Amino acid sequence: MSEKPTKEKTADLGDLLAEPRVGQLPAVTRGPIPVVQALTVGANQQTPAVGQRVTRLDIRTHVTGSTRYIDDLAFPGMLHVKILRSTQAHARILSIDTTAARAMPGVVATLTGDEIPENSFGSSYQDQPVLAVDRVRHQGDGLVAIAAETEQQASDALAAVKVTYEPLPALFDPLEAIRPDAPKIHRDNNVYASKVIIRGDVEKGFAESDQIFERRYRTQMIEHVPMEPFAAIALWEPDGQLHVYSSNGRITLGRADLARTLQMPMNRIRVTATFIGGNFGGKNEIRTEPILALLAKKTRQPVKATFNREDEFIASTTRHPIIMDYKTGVADDGHLIARSVRLVLDGGAYASWSETTVGKAAILAAGPYRIPNVHVEGHAVYTNKTVTGAMRGFGAPQVAFAYESQMDEIANTLGMDPLAIRLLNGFSEGSISHTGQVLQAVALEETLLTAAKRSGWMEEGT
Amino acid sequence: MKHAGRGIACMWYPIGFTVAANPSSAVVKVNEDGTATLLTGTVEVGQGSLTVLGQIVAQELGISAEDVHVISADTDVTPMDTGAIASRTTFVTGNAVRLAAAEAKSILLEVAAEMLGVEVRELEAANHQIRVKTFPEKRISLADVAMGAQIARGRPPLGSASFNPPTVAMDPETGQGKPFAAYVYATQITDVEVDDETGEVEVLHVYAAHDSGTAINPALVEGQVEGGIAMGIGMALSEEILFNPEGRQINPNLTNYLIPTSLDMPPIDIDIIESYDPVGPFGAKGVGEPTLVPTAPAILNAIYDAVGVRITDLPATAEKILMAIRKKERSNVKGLEPGEGDT
Repeated sequence: MSEKPTKEKTADLGDLLAEPRVGQLPAVTRGPIPVVQALTVGANQQTPAVGQRVTRLDIRTHVTGSTRYIDDLAFPGMLHVKILRSTQAHARILSIDTTAARAMPGVVATLTGDEIPENSFGSSYQDQPVLAVDRVRHQGDGLVAIAAETEQQASDALAAVKVTYEPLPALFDPLEAIRPDAPKIHRDNNVYASKVIIRGDVEKGFAESDQIFERRYRTQMIEHVPMEPFAAIALWEPDGQLHVYSSNGRITLGRADLARTLQMPMNRIRVTATFIGGNFGGKNEIRTEPILALLAKKTRQPVKATFNREDEFIASTTRHPIIMDYKTGVADDGHLIARSVRLVLDGGAYASWSETTVGKAAILAAGPYRIPNVHVEGHAVYTNKTVTGAMRGFGAPQVAFAYESQMDEIANTLGMDPLAIRLLNGFSEGSISHTGQVLQAVALEETLLTAAKRSGWMEEGT
Repeated sequence: MKHAGRGIACMWYPIGFTVAANPSSAVVKVNEDGTATLLTGTVEVGQGSLTVLGQIVAQELGISAEDVHVISADTDVTPMDTGAIASRTTFVTGNAVRLAAAEAKSILLEVAAEMLGVEVRELEAANHQIRVKTFPEKRISLADVAMGAQIARGRPPLGSASFNPPTVAMDPETGQGKPFAAYVYATQITDVEVDDETGEVEVLHVYAAHDSGTAINPALVEGQVEGGIAMGIGMALSEEILFNPEGRQINPNLTNYLIPTSLDMPPIDIDIIESYDPVGPFGAKGVGEPTLVPTAPAILNAIYDAVGVRITDLPATAEKILMAIRKKERSNVKGLEPGEGDT
């Protein structure tokens, strides 16, 4: 068990190492650099400015704790908002009664979805309600927002809201949801975004291959975990302009979504984002802003909502779990001949950024390798789970796990060095991508050789 | 017993996104003293993008980073931007700010040409001066030009511009097209130690070589790489949102959802591989997202190298690895092929 798999150094590897083939790129000539290089003193004063290890403009305030995030801001008379969320994964809402909640100490106002002028948002399809009105589709859907004098009073009042549901069959497995007879979560098809990439003839490629490798890979649902949970404040300026402070990474889109949901002209809405304490894709859409705007209007007071960590997990977006079926045909000398990939993305309860994610995942799925025959199809599927959306890498970390795991399995079976098989098949300057694009400034081989050299890969012969 | 293993993984990643156009715009104002102010609609999310954008403006104007003040993230004040997403800020917003600075610079060069009595095409902006390229002794300070432009000639030096990456729509049936203007590449090699009695994995070292085009600020590129690797280690080994049978998350908190802490972080050797992208600002591409992409497969390949089991569903928790090791041991007893410990 402790024995290591055999990896032979091939003759090819030696040649490749001696003579990098990275197009116009220079060979690696730089000596070792320290693991951590200090910021260069005076870099901020140097010209030319590009290439300097300039000290960040905002580092002093971050390190001294004086950066002002949204939650550090307060306005006179500001109220605090908490949102009641669904206890059902999939259900019809029969009734929502806020009478008792409105009588709770400190409560100033409540808001339900039927009070929102256009109660939907979403980057590709506007399939997500700001607050659910007739149906909930996962256990993070908001139902009622409560504005109170303190955060605690708003939290306490949530328990006084009475909601009755009629449960509907819920789907948690995208492979079940993709079946034609599965219950529908929206409209008439649970598959809501697809991408296909076809190059060459994959079946012919498999027929010409010496060996075929097939495996299913799966990844998990992941949360962005930004240090700063999502926060926003809404207030109405005396001249009637709505001013929203929000930890939103895309204020241009955020303002457009606000204008749409509130049915207001864009020039009457100002969105300010200050500094954001980590985004990673989880702050690319509006969350509570329309709710806060309407509660601020109702109460004539500024209102704030700061997500706690649980809100951030269940009511923001997450990384798509993907079920990935990889089939790869190779020649005995290690050349990749054909690869087919089928991706099924757990698309959660609403579309969010899934269309972009399935697109990027499909485009990248065959890996940075010259493969004459490629067939990739990816599908994003609704389930009654937490919304999956944009997250650092947009599907790339998932497919890279699959294609790089399979590359190692192929190398192992063929008795090749894992570095050698990547050098043998990797893109180089002028390679054609799987979408037919001529690639420029391709530094793949140089990254492989540099990391190998830095780690002593060749010396160790691992 | 602990077993050492080493794994490699590489990747490619596109800069910008593709479903629709994704433009950025910017305004650059050169002040009378030769400093500059940049207005950008992007949002600083912790990655240091405002610093990078300031450096790009400074480079174009021939001034230093501290001479540029950056104002961002206010829809009433700053021009539109598609946002801090898709590793696009340096490449797309960077091009918009470079073009805006170039427009302000063209006013300065025209004024300087008059002041120096030379042709505009003979001039360059460098080291806080505007000077004759072939005869740098003939020069005038940028501050004097800026002051002269605004006060004497009534031509305040400011510029506004937008940029949208050149792409070709993909064929809906075959996906053929040019969805992105640029790609970056990276390789990570990881050393791990796997305990065959507990299934526990310790990541001992990561060697990371990342192409980002021209590194506008190498320190910030390294920061992205380190942060991405932390995220990749979590994806590989510990992070997972779990649900009960009713679809309720059972670990929506940092006690039971395990992200790597500073104690889990190994030493990281970073090599920045500089390529020159023909479209990016000063050859730059981007680096934000790709930094985590090769981490998980490099760790999983290292686990296989250490104990001969291939985990195919993430995360590779200690429990999963231990089960796979046990399964492999049983297979070996039965005389099956070694190396078939796949889950």
